[in-house]
Amino acid sequence: MIHLANVSKDYLTDTDSVFSALKEVSLTIKRGECISIVGPSGSGKSTLMHIIGLLDKPTKGTVSIEGKNIAHLSDDELSKLRSQFVGFVFQQFNLINKLTILENVMLPALYARKALPFEAKSRAMELLTRFGIADKAKSYPNKISGGQQQRTAIARALMNNPKLILADEPTGNLDSKTGKEIMRLLTSLNKKESLTVIIVTHDPTIASRTKKKIHIRDGRLV
Amino acid sequence: MNGIIFALRSAVEDFGRNKLRTLLTSLGILIGVSSVVLLMAFGLGLKKYIENQFASLGTNLLRIVPGKILEGGSFRAGGPASLGGIKFDIKDVQSLEKISQVEYVLPVFSKSTTVDIGKRSELADIYASSADIFKGLNLKAAYGQIFTKSDVDKHAKIVVIGPKIAKKLFMYEDSAIGKNIKVEGQNFRIIGVLKAKGGGFGGPDLDSFLYMPYTTAMVFNPEKTFIALVVKTTDNANVAQIKKDINNRLLRRYNEDNFSVIQQEELLSAIGQIFSIMNLVLVSIAAISLVVGGVGIMNIMYVTVTERIKEIGIRRAIGATKRDILTQFMTEAVALSLFGGIMGLTISFLIVLGVQRFFPAYIDTMTITIALVVSSVIGIVFGVLPAKRAADLSPIDSIRYE
Repeated sequence: MIHLANVSKDYLTDTDSVFSALKEVSLTIKRGECISIVGPSGSGKSTLMHIIGLLDKPTKGTVSIEGKNIAHLSDDELSKLRSQFVGFVFQQFNLINKLTILENVMLPALYARKALPFEAKSRAMELLTRFGIADKAKSYPNKISGGQQQRTAIARALMNNPKLILADEPTGNLDSKTGKEIMRLLTSLNKKESLTVIIVTHDPTIASRTKKKIHIRDGRLV
Repeated sequence: MNGIIFALRSAVEDFGRNKLRTLLTSLGILIGVSSVVLLMAFGLGLKKYIENQFASLGTNLLRIVPGKILEGGSFRAGGPASLGGIKFDIKDVQSLEKISQVEYVLPVFSKSTTVDIGKRSELADIYASSADIFKGLNLKAAYGQIFTKSDVDKHAKIVVIGPKIAKKLFMYEDSAIGKNIKVEGQNFRIIGVLKAKGGGFGGPDLDSFLYMPYTTAMVFNPEKTFIALVVKTTDNANVAQIKKDINNRLLRRYNEDNFSVIQQEELLSAIGQIFSIMNLVLVSIAAISLVVGGVGIMNIMYVTVTERIKEIGIRRAIGATKRDILTQFMTEAVALSLFGGIMGLTISFLIVLGVQRFFPAYIDTMTITIALVVSSVIGIVFGVLPAKRAADLSPIDSIRYE
């Protein structure tokens, strides 16, 4: 489904020297896999996640999504592919504070322009009900608990029926009990709906809950 | 379309959260729009007022005045040629009365003077003409009566006075009837007080004149001449032909540059032209404040974009295109500006409503349209740079931004 071939990513630092965040990384992710990308901070795992999540393009190498090379896609095409192919879950939840829980979940559908507002609303309510937070639909993000916020973020990630869920330290801001619940939720999405799930983490115990682990250090897979 | 409605709703909600900031930002546009709208409203009102004044003077009138006043439909540059160079006399009146379709010709003599009553003394203007003057200018007696043709033929020492001067001299208009006044030492009996006509706003104040037979006024007018002639044509008369005939007859005695035959409409359009130019200049000056208001919007939009970098990153990550972000911020800028425009219009409406008792200012649909279009355009023009900045932010950098 996703194929990275000799992917490198260089950044210019403030002192005008080149910093390589990723060095010739090649990897293949198959449909329905549940993978964790594990590495200490600064290892390049976030950069890898941004490239897999179509938020960034590599300096060298090719990224193919379902056999299509993304190098030739325009910013608009990339935005469109991103909204349909991948759903993000962040450590900081990244909900928009001035929108209600329901509106946050609906937002990807409105940007995708595939559903009418009332259709988006019923799909969003369905997801909220499934995750047990339907009663919070009219609340604002800063009025609900961290666990509930992360459930909202997962609901938002699922809104456009993506093929891939990309979670960046999804439990990093939660206590261990809530963290376990969120991990259970993510792995069950993989099992029950055969969604491809990639979890980026520095925590080996979180990584141990996935079938496959990719270790990264200093921009290289180890 | 959905996107714009969605962006609009989010903009309105945002304004609700930042009430003070929204109000202050749109204040610039509010002031700009209301000054432009008010100037346009007053300009329109002034034009209408003058038109009404002319209409109240009666229709089918041609004025013959000394000097060349109009040239190619507007006032002659450098002022009228040889103004006051000639004066008309009774021979002209008789000659013009012979033209067919001319109902009557009014000779006009006027002079500023003082009126004495007992020991009191007031300034007043004599307006001397024939008995038809009351018909010609649509003047009617409120008390007493107006003078007649036989009064004119008899050189009667009588006078009909306007309501304003009547009040000044006698407190009550009706108590003026039958009283004697002295004009430059000569005794005159007041036989009538006219109904109020209004006016005096730059034009002649018909309510302040002393009307007397031109024959009687010859004592103040030793040359026996007139400063103007007013020709009243019959209804449905061929005015262009009459104008030509008048010109031909007057050319026998005077040079072309020495007189003008002016139709009411010509004078009106010439005055209208001056007002249009004046108004345009004033409105252009007021429009500068709109630009200042626009810069205020641009400034606050840059602040908003910086405050919301993280939000922009999140929106981009979940599928918003550059265009979506551009639309969102443009919508916000236009809404902000339009809000100021609508507030400005509302305030202008209230002010116009307030002054309507004293001045016929009014706001027409054209003014409303201009105000709304201009405030939207300002939102677009001054919103596009900040919105473009927002749209061009890199998704990863913005989502990492704290």
